[in-house]
Amino acid sequence: MNLLVLVWRNSFRKKVRFWLTCTSVMVAFFLLTTLSGVDQALTANVSSSNQYRLMTSHKISMTQSLPINTQQKIAALPGVKKVSFASWFGGYFQNEKNQLPVTAVDHHHYFNLFDEYIIPGEQLAQWKKTRTGIVIGQGLADKYGWKIGDTVPLSSSIWMNKSGSFNWSFTVSAIYQTAQHSSADNKVFFQHAYFDKGRAYANDSLGWLSTEITENANVDDVITAIDLLFSHTNNPTRTTTEQVFIKEQAQQFVDMAMVINLVVVAVFSTLLLIVCNTMIQTIRERNNESAMMKALGFSATRLIQGIYLEALLLIGLGALVGSILASLSLALVGQSFNDFLPGISIKPSHYLTVFAWVNIAAAFCTVFPAVAIKQLVISKTLGDKA
Amino acid sequence: MKNSDNIILKNINKSYQKGKNTVVVHRDFNLTIESGEFVTLMGPSGLGKSTLLHLMGGLDQPTSGEVIIGTQRIDDLKQASLTQWRAENIGFVFQSHHLLPVLSAQGNVELPLALTSLNKKQRQEHASYALELVGMSDRASHFPKELSGGQEQRVAIARAIVSDPHILLCDEPTGNLDRQTANEILALLDQLNRDFGKTIVMVTHDKKAANYASRVINLESYIGEAHNCHMGENR
Repeated sequence: MNLLVLVWRNSFRKKVRFWLTCTSVMVAFFLLTTLSGVDQALTANVSSSNQYRLMTSHKISMTQSLPINTQQKIAALPGVKKVSFASWFGGYFQNEKNQLPVTAVDHHHYFNLFDEYIIPGEQLAQWKKTRTGIVIGQGLADKYGWKIGDTVPLSSSIWMNKSGSFNWSFTVSAIYQTAQHSSADNKVFFQHAYFDKGRAYANDSLGWLSTEITENANVDDVITAIDLLFSHTNNPTRTTTEQVFIKEQAQQFVDMAMVINLVVVAVFSTLLLIVCNTMIQTIRERNNESAMMKALGFSATRLIQGIYLEALLLIGLGALVGSILASLSLALVGQSFNDFLPGISIKPSHYLTVFAWVNIAAAFCTVFPAVAIKQLVISKTLGDKA
Repeated sequence: MKNSDNIILKNINKSYQKGKNTVVVHRDFNLTIESGEFVTLMGPSGLGKSTLLHLMGGLDQPTSGEVIIGTQRIDDLKQASLTQWRAENIGFVFQSHHLLPVLSAQGNVELPLALTSLNKKQRQEHASYALELVGMSDRASHFPKELSGGQEQRVAIARAIVSDPHILLCDEPTGNLDRQTANEILALLDQLNRDFGKTIVMVTHDKKAANYASRVINLESYIGEAHNCHMGENR
């Protein structure tokens, strides 16, 4: 018999209470781990952007178009090295459940600016020559089994073509890869020229522009120059670095994450109080036993160690099961959400966070029982009868 | 085992607060119990018999006065030292056995040995021997709920003696038992006193206990005599 055996046996003394409390802890850590996975996806997408590229869109909203000649005007500004543009297509394959990030891009310059997309030279050349050609990510090619030369019908939920249909036909001309397998390998790019000529409305316009500045140019100066150039036109612009732009786009998700975070914190705190209450109740029930152990020579510190280990077992077990279930769920959900929110995964450091939380929570739950044990008067507890 | 552990209570005053009132339990109380004695403290409720026992065991501290066990004055020991001292020198037997329900009889008896440097095998051996002494070897693997009241008290006595303390402090150990079982427990304590030289101080209302004790102290008359003597000295 040693202290660990006693801790183990005491933990399972009230089995129903133990498992119900453990389940509560499990739910809390399931939420915590799941949110961490989603948060990781949002953060990863923002941090993979280039802070030296500028993004220019209509000052009112991203959904407002800019004239196609905006590109030439920006290109003429000092400090500008390359300018390209793109428009959002909003596509899906076969049905709306299979949403794809499809973008019409300036096929002359786009991939010069965005060299993180690794495309074999001959495929890129072929794409530039093929009006209906698309460049797809390796992940997407693997998912749907698309190969070079395949004809792929894609539909747009925004853009009708001149024949009055929302269905557009494309040919796979190139497949890109990225340096690290990431969220970016599920995109589709096609020629803006094909898009512009083919769409039924809003011709000769673009969605946004990407600008690369020269090495000695000042980012703020170029941003100011671009926006000043269009400030008194019908289409004023708003220019930011690409990082800020992506952060703003992700902001709606991040805000959502913050709300979820707050909910998780609330749930987590409540469950912590429940566990705390359980521990207090447990110790109160064992008041006489604690007094007897003190009488036998067990110090308050030893008894508190036992309570801490019991709390650690209860919370640790719940956290372990909750985290494992969340990891398995995220692995499954991550595949389904890959097109919408790619990169859902759990950083190894999250498990260190869980470990820290388990210890903090166990220590917190031990505080009140520890005070009770410290204040326990043996003679009063065991009865002053004479 | 130490054989010179006299218990000396010297000029003990003990009082406590009950609401706004101060209740005096003992005033200038003196008592010496020689090493190896079997003393029963008797008398009506409310005289502070258990309080004396708690003072001797370091479970409580006097308002003033000295509690000396052997050569050690324990009333001014710090809590940590007192806990350590108690583990090494005192065995307690209470009216309610307070056995841990999650441990077997063997486990309960081994419990105090968790504080010693004995290894697992040695702890098991000591506990088995203590159980044998109280006649509970055949119930070693039983849990408290599987034992009768008398058997539980025997296990509690085994737990009290397993670390071989010289002093056993018993607070109404037969209070919850029927006559026959109470006699068995008293005989067991008597055996521990005679065969192993344990100093036993027992608080009890059981008049039969007097048959086993080497000295019976009726606290009511003891306090009265001490008071008269004190008054005589003052005159």
